[in-house]
Amino acid sequence: MKLLRGGRWITAAGLVLLAAVYVRALAFTPIERFQGPAQKIFYVHVPAAWCAMLAMGLVGVAGILFLLLKDPRFDRFGEASAEVGTVFSLVMLTTGPIWAKPIWGTWWTWDARLTLTLFLFLLFLGYLLLRGAVTDPGLKARYSAVLGICGLVLLPFIHLSVYLFRTLHPQPIVLKPSAPSLPGAMLVTLLFSFGVFTLLYVGFVVQRYALSILREPAEARDHHA
Amino acid sequence: MPEGIPQNAGFMVAAYVTAAAILLGYALSLYRRTLKP
Repeated sequence: MKLLRGGRWITAAGLVLLAAVYVRALAFTPIERFQGPAQKIFYVHVPAAWCAMLAMGLVGVAGILFLLLKDPRFDRFGEASAEVGTVFSLVMLTTGPIWAKPIWGTWWTWDARLTLTLFLFLLFLGYLLLRGAVTDPGLKARYSAVLGICGLVLLPFIHLSVYLFRTLHPQPIVLKPSAPSLPGAMLVTLLFSFGVFTLLYVGFVVQRYALSILREPAEARDHHA
Repeated sequence: MPEGIPQNAGFMVAAYVTAAAILLGYALSLYRRTLKP
């Protein structure tokens, strides 16, 4: 299958480039004076958070398009993006506390940003559980679309939570109205990492989408049995 | 490493290893599932 092969190649390229991100971040990017080497967690944590939010955003958009057009390809894409988003959320939620411990002195705090990102992860899990629990394909697609739209609505709150509430989490330093406040070498590494994580997201989603197509005949058999 | 900079490289290594393990694990899982759908 051409789509699957394409997804595999994109993923393979993404993984090779991820190794290059690691080399650049660890060996060729300066250490931040106040936070020390732990600050370099930034180069995996922030792109993972970006991909998790991108994934949920696209699940929501796919949900809207499915409800409007009833095209099963949007439902299939939503499923693929949700599974991949769960993986990136997991990277975000594990690297975040590992960074927080040496800098904040605690692994976790129940402030708005952290709680909302945990909620995002739980929404992804809920989405996947819902798909596993509902057997009727039409109902499954409709319920999933609605849950995906709920996730889309959550995203602005996550992004703005650091402005709206008192929180330990730093404010955005790249995705903000003014220019990014990072030294050049750090910004280049971050943007490179953003690109590679996005490429990995695309490779994973294409493969997962192809897997849904491959599974379709078996699922249809199970439904009619 | 210059003096005065916090010595917390262990946390950095832990985060990088965790991220790589999750992403590689998922890539492998996808590869296996697409072999036998």
